[in-house]
Amino acid sequence: MRASPGRVGGVFVVATVVLALLYLAIGEGPGFAELVRMLTGGETRPDERFVVAQIRLPRLLVALFGGGALATAGVVMQASFRNPLASPDLVGTAAGAAFGGALAIVTRFADAAVVATPLASLAGAMFVTWLVFVLAGAYGRVSVTGLLLAGIALNTLVGALTSFVVTFSFANYTASSEVLFWLMGGLERSTWTHAWITAAGFGVFAGLIAPRTRDLDLMTLRDDSAHSLGIDAPRARRVLLWFACGLTATTVANTGGIAFVGLVVPHLARLVVGPSHRALLPTAALLGGSLLVASDVVCRVAPPEASLRLGVVTAMLGAPYFLYLLARHRRGEVL
Amino acid sequence: MTALCAADLVVRLGNRTVLDGTSFALRPGELVLLAGRNGAGKSTLLRVLLGAVAPGRGTVSLHDRALAAWPALARARELAFVPQDTEHAFEFTGRELVTMGRHPHRRRGSRLQPDDLAAVERALRAVDAMPFADRPVTTLSGGEQRRIAVARALATEAPLLLLDEPTNNLDLEHALQLVALLRQLATARRGVLVASHDLNLLAPHSDRVVLLHGGRLFVDAPPAAALSAENVATVFGVRSGASLGFFPREFRL
Repeated sequence: MRASPGRVGGVFVVATVVLALLYLAIGEGPGFAELVRMLTGGETRPDERFVVAQIRLPRLLVALFGGGALATAGVVMQASFRNPLASPDLVGTAAGAAFGGALAIVTRFADAAVVATPLASLAGAMFVTWLVFVLAGAYGRVSVTGLLLAGIALNTLVGALTSFVVTFSFANYTASSEVLFWLMGGLERSTWTHAWITAAGFGVFAGLIAPRTRDLDLMTLRDDSAHSLGIDAPRARRVLLWFACGLTATTVANTGGIAFVGLVVPHLARLVVGPSHRALLPTAALLGGSLLVASDVVCRVAPPEASLRLGVVTAMLGAPYFLYLLARHRRGEVL
Repeated sequence: MTALCAADLVVRLGNRTVLDGTSFALRPGELVLLAGRNGAGKSTLLRVLLGAVAPGRGTVSLHDRALAAWPALARARELAFVPQDTEHAFEFTGRELVTMGRHPHRRRGSRLQPDDLAAVERALRAVDAMPFADRPVTTLSGGEQRRIAVARALATEAPLLLLDEPTNNLDLEHALQLVALLRQLATARRGVLVASHDLNLLAPHSDRVVLLHGGRLFVDAPPAAALSAENVATVFGVRSGASLGFFPREFRL
């Protein structure tokens, strides 16, 4: 049974705002009382304001927009490949972004400018996704199985190359530990620069995808059917996948490897509002953002000596969901 | 007037020649049955006529204008398609799928208009799909999914309709209903082309039968002439007795 999109939207917006306020109030330093005073214009200490405005708020925004971006990219990829298992993780886009970012950090290119890592990630994501397309022969006729197989193959290859870059840089201890931490995904170093880049990436690419919700609906049909309804499915698929690349790369550059959000959140959103993209895209974006914020809450309240990584938390949430999908599949249900 | 016209088509897939000098025309007001053995080129011909595959040689024109020169949405308002494969990856409801048939009529980002809703309603009723229209399509039987696919094509309100094996998976009652519906559409001045192996069911209701044989047009004639014992023996390799016309045109539900 599906819920009405309007009501769901309202509930999700309220839940996200509550979660965001909670996020700003927990941790060492200012709590709820101080936050309320800050928001109502009461007396607060400068160090408390600094913690909320310069440390927690940018980190919150990176989580919110990053989670929204990964979930949106997942929705786009699942519709484009007509396959509920497609996601930035599975078709190599995230791996390409991670490789580009890792290379930038190790070669110290990342220190050159604030946008250096995002650009390197974007280049990596686009290159690997392009290669997946070429290998699958997608510029001729599209084979969805071919695309997924090529994605899995390149995922493995690029993952191995990334590992090589990390071990190669072991001579330089700081660089290699920095890359390793970044690869495991985390938000603790988020500044306003990271927040702006993540928000801008989400704004631009989600803004380009938003007017194409009906194209996404039609692309879930076979290409001939989409064609007969006036959509050039192979072309629309290419365009939309570049947008999904952009969303993935700008996020991965700022957060490192965040597994499963792009795969799992579209499924959860579909359970709530159904597969129609007009409702699905905003629902998935909100849900993805909240899920990443909630996961980061877990990281922040965990004891510091545990050094719990965000990518580890999302993977722990995502893997059981995969098993749930498997159980449904074995009962003969559609994923 | 010839609405959809293909001349001298040659299509190669890999190093196999699938269509070899095939010509074909579909006019408004006629129901044409396209038949032939598996691999004779029926599906390929449909895809070329849709503009989904460009022929290596030959031309396809829609209302006397090259099909490839038509803007995609304008073409979609003229030419609708029911695919053979109705497998779905996501749990859209039947009504959502039929509403997709209104895409060629809608402006980007616009909401559904009253005439869109009316067309969807008419299409769902025409295939008797109202009882299951709001269920996820993945929970429907093969026959019900097929009727949804037909309804989606009807919702476009295109004057020309191409169908690939539309009676697959349909029980006898719904198969006969579908044939009656196609006949009714043809009588209402639409052009209907049906690729099918169901000769018994469709031939008696068709105005013409087109037999493809090895990528070539073997015969294009009224049913009785096209499906002569001699032609059936050549094209299908089957000696036919008096089996054709099992459901004659006078057959009533």
